[in-house]
Amino acid sequence: MRRAAAWVLVAGVLAAPWLIAAAIPRQQRYVLHVLIFTALFAGLALSYDLIVGHVGSLSLAHPAFFGVGAYTAAILATRAKWPFLADLLAAVLAAAVVAALVGVPLFRLTEHAFAVGTLGLALVAWIVANNWVEVTRGPLCITGIPKPAIALPGGPTLAVTTLPGYYWLALGALGAIVLLYRRLTTFRLGRTFHAVRDNEPLAGAAAINPLKYRLLAFTIGAALAGGIGALYVHYLSVMCPEEMTVALTVNLLVIVFLGGVGSLRGVLVGAVLFTALPEVLRLAPTWRLVIYGTLLLVVVVRSPEGIESLLRRAGGARVAR
Amino acid sequence: MAFLEILGLVKRFLGVTAVDQVDLAVERGELVSLIGPNGSGKTTLFNCVTGYLPADGGRVLFGGHDLTNNAPHRVARLGVARTFQQVSVFPRLSALENLLVFLQQHQEEQLLARLLRTPRLRQLERDAVERARRLLDLVGLADRADASAGTLSYGQRKLLAFAAALMPDPELLLLDEPAAAVNPTMINQMKGHILELHRQGKTVVLVEHNMDVVMDISQRVVVLDHGQKIAEGPPDAIRRDARVIEAYFGR
Repeated sequence: MRRAAAWVLVAGVLAAPWLIAAAIPRQQRYVLHVLIFTALFAGLALSYDLIVGHVGSLSLAHPAFFGVGAYTAAILATRAKWPFLADLLAAVLAAAVVAALVGVPLFRLTEHAFAVGTLGLALVAWIVANNWVEVTRGPLCITGIPKPAIALPGGPTLAVTTLPGYYWLALGALGAIVLLYRRLTTFRLGRTFHAVRDNEPLAGAAAINPLKYRLLAFTIGAALAGGIGALYVHYLSVMCPEEMTVALTVNLLVIVFLGGVGSLRGVLVGAVLFTALPEVLRLAPTWRLVIYGTLLLVVVVRSPEGIESLLRRAGGARVAR
Repeated sequence: MAFLEILGLVKRFLGVTAVDQVDLAVERGELVSLIGPNGSGKTTLFNCVTGYLPADGGRVLFGGHDLTNNAPHRVARLGVARTFQQVSVFPRLSALENLLVFLQQHQEEQLLARLLRTPRLRQLERDAVERARRLLDLVGLADRADASAGTLSYGQRKLLAFAAALMPDPELLLLDEPAAAVNPTMINQMKGHILELHRQGKTVVLVEHNMDVVMDISQRVVVLDHGQKIAEGPPDAIRRDARVIEAYFGR
């Protein structure tokens, strides 16, 4: 029964472009745009949750990694005319390398100092994006980033130029991140991450090197954020420094902590609610922020562990993880 | 050379010398107790041996390896297990997972193998689950295998932490007050477990305040006072030692 419901959900998500075209043809473009953003934000939030939810390090540096990936892809695609898959890979690697390099000194800091250090990194990255005009064009933004074109083996090139096409591309990326997220957060690797998160001194006695696993989660999370950054700029065709401000961190914190930190379902629900909802609320522009703010407060007060814990309680005795 | 050899170990906190030139040799298969009044440096000594505190002087040798100022995970990797005085578990992992996590780092640790979940790794995992269930059964927690460790009672967590330390089949066990703050039935149980480990040929060093336990099971007792070793010998001799009596009761 649950299995059937899950398949219906998957089919519905995959067929969304057609369903929307049939139901509300006049708004198809807008709704698809919101859904693409939701998929990209869900992927970004999952990459963030690997760090804050599974090894318990409150990093505020995610916009920096998103930005490194976004700028790497934007610059390579416009100036060096790299093909899409190549600049996507470069974006992933660039973000991973930056994370591995800054991670070593950052993880010498603990808890609050670590959070402040990572916040500093995000600010520095934003300042560099704004002022290194020769490379990033600063506030003028990098424009004219081409739509993704994927060279298929055997000759033909699949150009992702339509909104439905981009929707499926974003969905595919989200699917890949979900699979990787599950591999990383369950079985032996997940257990090691959780041991470090729950009790670092004891993890040492269990022969776990806490620094190694913190750095691993940090680097993989950053790499995925870099990849999302690349997808993001290919979709918008523009990359500006404003895309990597602290506002992005706030969004991610809301999605992850109100959705359900450390939980795949919680983060996905959080991404859908807190990306799509502000858009839906645009229908009542004056009340938008009031309703959004009230909703945030209600969740924080009623269910401080996130919406995931509400779902779990609603699901009765079933113990979900 | 002895199996565990501590040579002139020194640890200072600001002005206080918590461990002062302590020498201690433990032979393979021995069951040794470390006693002394509160603040005499027993736990600090454990922490220096297992890499939780850097020593200010001296050396720690174990089975041909130099443990001095190694990181805790390296010491654990070499086959030294320890428990903590403050009961310590992974609260959000299940009781079973608490045991599994103590074995897996001694096996396949390659990232790729773990991501791909190779058949070999799956087999290791099945064997680990079987061993973990046997150990949970041994300490009487078989029916709580799937409960989050954080929901267990104090005594149950203490038993869980003990079982977890046994998971990688360590050669040397450092147990910090296994019988403290638990009921008499459990003290007897714990005594039985420790004697069984001794019978299996494991080397055990015990920090304990409960004198019945210490005098009952130890082959040798080492007494610390103000960071210095003041006496060492079989339980009966220690019981009558004037310096020990003075350290505990004053002159």
